[in-house]
Amino acid sequence: MPQNRTIVDDNTWEELIELTHGAAAVCFQCGVCTASCPWGLVKEETLSVRSYMRSAQLGLQKNGNDNLWLCTTCAQCEAYCPRDVNIADVFRGLRYLTWKQNQPHEGLPTLLWSVYWNNNPWEQPPSQRTQWAKNLNLPIFDSQQHDILYYVGCTASYDTRAQKVAHAVVALLNAAGVSFGTLGEDEPCSGEEVLSVGHKHYFREMAEDATKAFQEAGVTQLVTTDPHSYDAFKNHYQGAIKPKHYTQYFAELLEEGKLKFSQSLDRPITFHDPCYLSRHNGEIEAPRKLLNAIPGVDLVEMPNIAEDTLCCGGGGGRMWLETEAGERFSDLRVEEALTTGAQILATSCPYCIACLEDSVKARVIKDLVVMDVAEIAALAI
Amino acid sequence: MDKFHIVVCIKVVPKPEEIAVDKETMLLIRDGVRSEINPPDMNAIEMALKLKDKYGGKISILSMGPPFFADYLRVPLAMGADHIYLMSDRNFGGADTLATTYTLAEGIRKIGDVDMVICGEESSDGATGQVPAGLAEWLGINQLTQMDEVDIDLRGKVARGKREIAGGHISLEVPFPVVVSAKTASNEPRFMDYTIKPWAFEEGRITVWGAEDVEVEDDHIGLPGSPTIVSGLEQAPERARKRQFLEGSPEEIADQLGKILVQAL
Repeated sequence: MPQNRTIVDDNTWEELIELTHGAAAVCFQCGVCTASCPWGLVKEETLSVRSYMRSAQLGLQKNGNDNLWLCTTCAQCEAYCPRDVNIADVFRGLRYLTWKQNQPHEGLPTLLWSVYWNNNPWEQPPSQRTQWAKNLNLPIFDSQQHDILYYVGCTASYDTRAQKVAHAVVALLNAAGVSFGTLGEDEPCSGEEVLSVGHKHYFREMAEDATKAFQEAGVTQLVTTDPHSYDAFKNHYQGAIKPKHYTQYFAELLEEGKLKFSQSLDRPITFHDPCYLSRHNGEIEAPRKLLNAIPGVDLVEMPNIAEDTLCCGGGGGRMWLETEAGERFSDLRVEEALTTGAQILATSCPYCIACLEDSVKARVIKDLVVMDVAEIAALAI
Repeated sequence: MDKFHIVVCIKVVPKPEEIAVDKETMLLIRDGVRSEINPPDMNAIEMALKLKDKYGGKISILSMGPPFFADYLRVPLAMGADHIYLMSDRNFGGADTLATTYTLAEGIRKIGDVDMVICGEESSDGATGQVPAGLAEWLGINQLTQMDEVDIDLRGKVARGKREIAGGHISLEVPFPVVVSAKTASNEPRFMDYTIKPWAFEEGRITVWGAEDVEVEDDHIGLPGSPTIVSGLEQAPERARKRQFLEGSPEEIADQLGKILVQAL
């Protein structure tokens, strides 16, 4: 008997099929996924996405393989896959198996405990969720009174950089005369980070609890700051919540004439599409509509845009894992932005901002600033 | 020997940022504040689970506190513990570490056949760090305190522990039974096992003992059994941070930072 034989485990196979809805079954192993994976841009030996698809088809699990945690779930591979495999979901399913066997990546149990005890992944006190808005007097959402719920989200609530985006969103909502509220300290974590690290069962529980909280508050429509929570609500909450990303909502208000930009901004701007807005949800126009509506803005595009956008590196739980210097996609992205001659690298995701700003700082780039579309738009009202 | 039996003593504490003290009674205000399992106790639970992973055996969780603790005690059950015991009685209330360790020790005696007791290093609210040593004294057994790692030798019936110190570590070996305190952050507590969690939260049994269920002397428990007097409490003044932003390339910033740190030494 060969010593290094691999046993195909029927139970693991069945569980994977259930976890991923059999997503990998139709894969015919062409390898386009591996070829298109952005890790190939920074690593000598790229992430073999194809072999993970094979593992999923056979019900195999590669133990102790940290590569499983490299996937940023950016879905670049899905854009090219000729069989339309939901590859990100297969990775999440494979990741769940490591949770089940108590072998997840180091540091990720701490992430889940933070969500469990603090209702946010940033190990920040739940009682300080609304600190960012202490001077804004934002009302608690009342379905009789308010048009929409502004779902701030964990990162915009706690991260000092992302808080500025939340302030800009509030300024825009006020400028457009929208009647809105938030859920204050009771705002539930969307669980997107739990989903992204593959803990599907905990995520399902969170989604049920959050849905109940939204329903009890009479929420039917909400507007999110970040595309990751938007994606979780839209695609993983069983249709219970109708979310809009703020770029979509403001683009609608623009068309309805409720939002107007009067200040001019004579700066060349390039736009980095967040994966969870563009590739995962096909939203390419809304952020560009907003930028183009600002007087004086010259939108200059990078080569890799829309469904070909280059991931910032922060999705799929990578915000909680270390990426070696020299292997950060965001480094490539800021270099790409510089080639356009833009002075502002705009995006619309708190994770993208964190990664891109880190790269701008680490590369000591003086003539490029990273801004959220909401921040740029708020300057123009 | 029968299955190796570990009791992990845990406490439910108010989240640190929500701690408030009743100025009259000098006791913590628990109403209306969010709670959590004392974070160092999570390290104690993980230490016990690692031993169970390796050698089998069973884990009992023991806590003393009001009935609302029960919901929190289901968390270690979902992580892989086997039995949950809650000592809950108004007469246990207001206990200092002497009365607490006495009461818990009687609980451990009642659980019976215990080879090892694991505690967190200290609690985030009281922060005395006296409970592990106090338990060992009441039980008259060995203690391994502030352990980074613990292993057991089932044949030799000894526990071996390692405590990291500056410049090295101390290795200790003591016969069973033993009280161990797990150093804070010495491990990463595993998340709950979702194949167990629904059972743990819906059906898992919690044994609740009042003062009459254990053999305790009335004057040793609760307030009467607590000689500690909290004579005063003061809020530490907040210090303004002297924030300074460094400019330059990462190398230049590192260089400047190095100089500032050297100056401050």
